[in-house]
Amino acid sequence: MSRPTPTRIVTGLWFAATVIILVLGFHQAIFVAPMEATMGNVQRIFYYHVPSATAGLIFPYVNLIGSLAFLYWRRRDPLKALAADALALAAAEVTIVFTSIGLVTGMLWGKPVWGIWWTWDERLTTYLLLWLIYVSYFVVRRLSSTGQTQTLAAILSIFAGIDVPIVYMSIRWWRTQHPSPVFFGGPDSGLDPSMRPAFFLNFAGWIMWGVFITAFRYALERRRQVAEQNAALHAIEASLEIPHQ
Amino acid sequence: MNYLGHVLNHLRKDLRLEWRSRDSINGMLFFSLLVVVVFSMAFDPTASASRQIAGGIVWVAILFAATTALNQSWTRELRNDVMDAQRLAPSPASALFLGKALANMIFVLAVEAILAPLFTIFYNLHAVGPGWLLALIMPLGTWALVVNGTFFAALGIRTRNRELLLPLVLFPISIPALLAMVQATTGVLTAELDSIQLYLWVKVLISYDIIFTTVCLLLFETVLHAE
Amino acid sequence: MTWHSFFDLSTMEHRHLLFVYVGIWVVQLGYLSWISWNWLHTKNPND
Repeated sequence: MSRPTPTRIVTGLWFAATVIILVLGFHQAIFVAPMEATMGNVQRIFYYHVPSATAGLIFPYVNLIGSLAFLYWRRRDPLKALAADALALAAAEVTIVFTSIGLVTGMLWGKPVWGIWWTWDERLTTYLLLWLIYVSYFVVRRLSSTGQTQTLAAILSIFAGIDVPIVYMSIRWWRTQHPSPVFFGGPDSGLDPSMRPAFFLNFAGWIMWGVFITAFRYALERRRQVAEQNAALHAIEASLEIPHQ
Repeated sequence: MNYLGHVLNHLRKDLRLEWRSRDSINGMLFFSLLVVVVFSMAFDPTASASRQIAGGIVWVAILFAATTALNQSWTRELRNDVMDAQRLAPSPASALFLGKALANMIFVLAVEAILAPLFTIFYNLHAVGPGWLLALIMPLGTWALVVNGTFFAALGIRTRNRELLLPLVLFPISIPALLAMVQATTGVLTAELDSIQLYLWVKVLISYDIIFTTVCLLLFETVLHAE
Repeated sequence: MTWHSFFDLSTMEHRHLLFVYVGIWVVQLGYLSWISWNWLHTKNPND
């Protein structure tokens, strides 16, 4: 961490801004925002649950973009393809983190408020499915033989991108035929003005956190890739007995 | 040779290989029979509600049976470096995929042909709704499972724990199709859905089949040449 | 709410609220620490 390059400065500023916004958001959510009329204080979970759950829906598309870029550059520019794959991997990990948080916090909110841990409506089922598919994404990455890993994972990412909207639409259609016993009022159906600062601060804060952590994970993956390449180059040069300059 | 010729060649090859060893079909048949029996223990078939769940049980049994067949459908290509020969062959990669998917389809349909009467007997089923629709729903649903299953089985050829990977990846992706086929089958058996809804589920199945067959055909070449 | 009521564990509602906030921070900071640890233990290609 020696020289303050432009990247480092921007990263540092972004991280500082994120932390400040999240601290302010926490303050707003817990101490300033008024208690909700029907649900009570447990409604404050909303300020953390909704941003995390939304982030869990955004980063899969970053993963999809990275995967498509990887497949495009795979034969044309392998170095760019490698970077694209690093982005795909970073976004997939962040997706799993946010999706897991979204699922668990949703359940923790649902139990006291609606009396049930879970229901099979279109939102929750699609969300669970998204989580399952990305877990299988990591299983594919871990179990496949080297050389194939990135391509197979990229293909799975495309399937995920196509499948998740289809799941949502099919279950939504199914559920409108058999309405579920619990009515989901929709937490963002008309947000009280006094709650808006808490919501927007936390929303911005967690999305910014997501961007930061994806970028950090991407940088780590790139560092690993370059280290691996250097090690491979070293090994090849050693085997050719060319003196390493 | 045109595309269809390539597909038929691949299909013939798989059918012939399977006919000689018959391990896939035997495994599937026996496994399905066991599944039917176990489900009959778990969910009392004589109860009046059995008609409601029979659709779901049939498709779960077919899903498990198909998975056992799909897992080993590509293993015969691994021996003797056959996969490398396939990569070098002048036939388009998607023809290989289509031929194998069709072969798997025939195997699973053969098992269904035996499974369906068994279910009818064990669960005292008769379709209250338009029974002829089942002749449309069963192949459509089976194709949805087989086309994705063949693709993901190919995806996992070189992976460790191949048998684990296939259900892990296949089941989440197949959920819209599973929902549609179970709802449609239950709708036919119980006649609780009006015809508009029933036909809509069939249309969902058809769209799913078209979308994912196209995606699999387009992406198979990438999988074949993944290294 | 106050700090005192935030850490009150009497009702399920309060417990769940606390679990959510603390849990999210633990997970996110844990993930950040994992990345940071690996960052520091991967050779810097610029060195």
